[in-house]
Amino acid sequence: MITEAHFAAPEEIMALLDGELLPERAQSVSIHLDECAECREFAEVLRKGSQTVSNWTVPAALPNADFEKRLVDAAGRIPVQGRFPGLNHWHHWRVFLRRRWLITATAAALVLAVAVTSRRAAAPSNMPVDMAQTDRGGATFGGLSHLPLPARSLERESSRSGGKLAVSEQSENLDQPAAGQLGLEKKGLASPYDRFSRAEVLQAPMIARTVTLSIVAKDFGFSRTALDAILARHHGYAASLNANTRQNAARSLEASLRIPAGELTEAVAELKSLGQVENEAQGGEEVTQQHADLVARLKNSRETEQRLQAILLQRTGKVSDILAVEQEIARVRGEIEQMEGEQKSLEHRVDFATIDLNLAEEYKAKIGSASPSISTRFHNAVIVGYRGAVESAIGVVLFVAEDGPVTVVWLAILAPMVWFLRRRWIRTTSATL
Amino acid sequence: MLACSQGSAEALTELFRRYQQPIHGFFRRRLNDPARAEELTQETFLALLRSASRYEPRALFRTYLYAIALKILRAYRRKAIFRTAFVGRPETIPDPAQHDATETGLWVRRAVAQLEATDREILLLREFEQLSYAEIAELLNLAVNTVRSRLFRARVALRELLKPSSSRAATDAVTQAASGSGNPQMITTKGQRA
Repeated sequence: MITEAHFAAPEEIMALLDGELLPERAQSVSIHLDECAECREFAEVLRKGSQTVSNWTVPAALPNADFEKRLVDAAGRIPVQGRFPGLNHWHHWRVFLRRRWLITATAAALVLAVAVTSRRAAAPSNMPVDMAQTDRGGATFGGLSHLPLPARSLERESSRSGGKLAVSEQSENLDQPAAGQLGLEKKGLASPYDRFSRAEVLQAPMIARTVTLSIVAKDFGFSRTALDAILARHHGYAASLNANTRQNAARSLEASLRIPAGELTEAVAELKSLGQVENEAQGGEEVTQQHADLVARLKNSRETEQRLQAILLQRTGKVSDILAVEQEIARVRGEIEQMEGEQKSLEHRVDFATIDLNLAEEYKAKIGSASPSISTRFHNAVIVGYRGAVESAIGVVLFVAEDGPVTVVWLAILAPMVWFLRRRWIRTTSATL
Repeated sequence: MLACSQGSAEALTELFRRYQQPIHGFFRRRLNDPARAEELTQETFLALLRSASRYEPRALFRTYLYAIALKILRAYRRKAIFRTAFVGRPETIPDPAQHDATETGLWVRRAVAQLEATDREILLLREFEQLSYAEIAELLNLAVNTVRSRLFRARVALRELLKPSSSRAATDAVTQAASGSGNPQMITTKGQRA
């Protein structure tokens, strides 16, 4: 190897051989090469190295007339420079989309994920808000800042916790000042749960039971008659019943039956005997806490009403004050009636279990049965297709309107990151490829 | 090329005939599969044709064409890595050295394969494509002085690798590795530093 004591550095000798030195410097290095045997020897080594490398030959490309012809044909179709600027823009976009397919695919996947996530996140979030609003609406006594403390504390506790313990503690406070009045009120209540003490209400679980049955019957007419008999025998009723008895098709029946809770087991067993059970599901929703909360709120509202009526009886204030009290009484009365309705509905759900019955006939097709004409079927198909297209279009518009802004925001956040990472990856790999 | 960008088929034909062999050689020296080299050569000219309307003569046409070829080569290698990572198996590529290269060519090829990637690319661009330092620097996005020093380093390393003892050892190593992996060109050993 040549040392640094030489006039020309080894790299300069190489550059001279490659013709890459500036003319002035090339002349100096050439003179040095003539004088220095060591540098001349190094230059010879480099030359031989290049000659050796040039021995690496590859076979020539075979003539490809087809490709050449395709290339020439394609040349006639390319947009001439500057003549069709629009085509160039379009080409830019095509190239961009083709080269950025990874970004496009990632962005589409992210958009989908964000849309699904936002929908899923939005669905449960509505529930607590609505429940909280209902809770506040049911237990709020707007404008009654003069109410006794126990009533207001109950409002807070019941709306905040909705729990069994909170209600029981607060309602105990309420019992003391208005025991007499509440005793009178209880006489007027028809619900069997008002006859129970608070402890009994809390101890006995209130369960609204539901059963879903899918039955296939061989004799639909007989099953239909037997269903009516079962309902009559168990003192139940059909909340809704929808029978489908089209010709040349299996008959079916969908019904929502209400059966007294105590006779549910027997009724279900009899219903199962109507045919072959294809699906059965049973469930029970415990509404004890909900009922206890409702009872406590109802009691509180009644007490408030009693107090307001007592104020009205005294009539010591101005006419405007009396009118305000009457308005308040009317409002509280409305709340009481609403809560009584809810209470009755709740108790009815517990007293009467729900059976969702789907009864279908085991259909046997008949030879020679009339079928709709081709024109009718075609007409129906066109209508169904039209409706489907309209629904799809509306769905797309709704999706864009609902999730478009969120999608744009997420794209604005994520697309630059993806673009940056991809660019960095390409640069990193390009250095080594 | 300017005539080609104006839609002249004759100009394109002339360009194709003039540069088909150099571009083909460019890919053949960098890929093991002759068919793939042929395919990428055609792809290069198609890319040239597609970009003809946007061509601006800011550099030598030769540099422009090799820039396209290099970009296509990198994209192909990137896809190959991607495919290997996800599909889990590299493409089975025949080694052209086994049937279309001379013994000296095979010797040089294996020595070049052991150079560091960027040094190898610079050396190949200089020795076979006959590009100037400035053109190589532009293609690889490097400084001219860096190109010169790395080229020097590559040549010195190659000289060491081409010495009979080194080459024999390298050939043995390649042969051993080939018997293990089935593809001698998969081996990338860093070149010896000067």
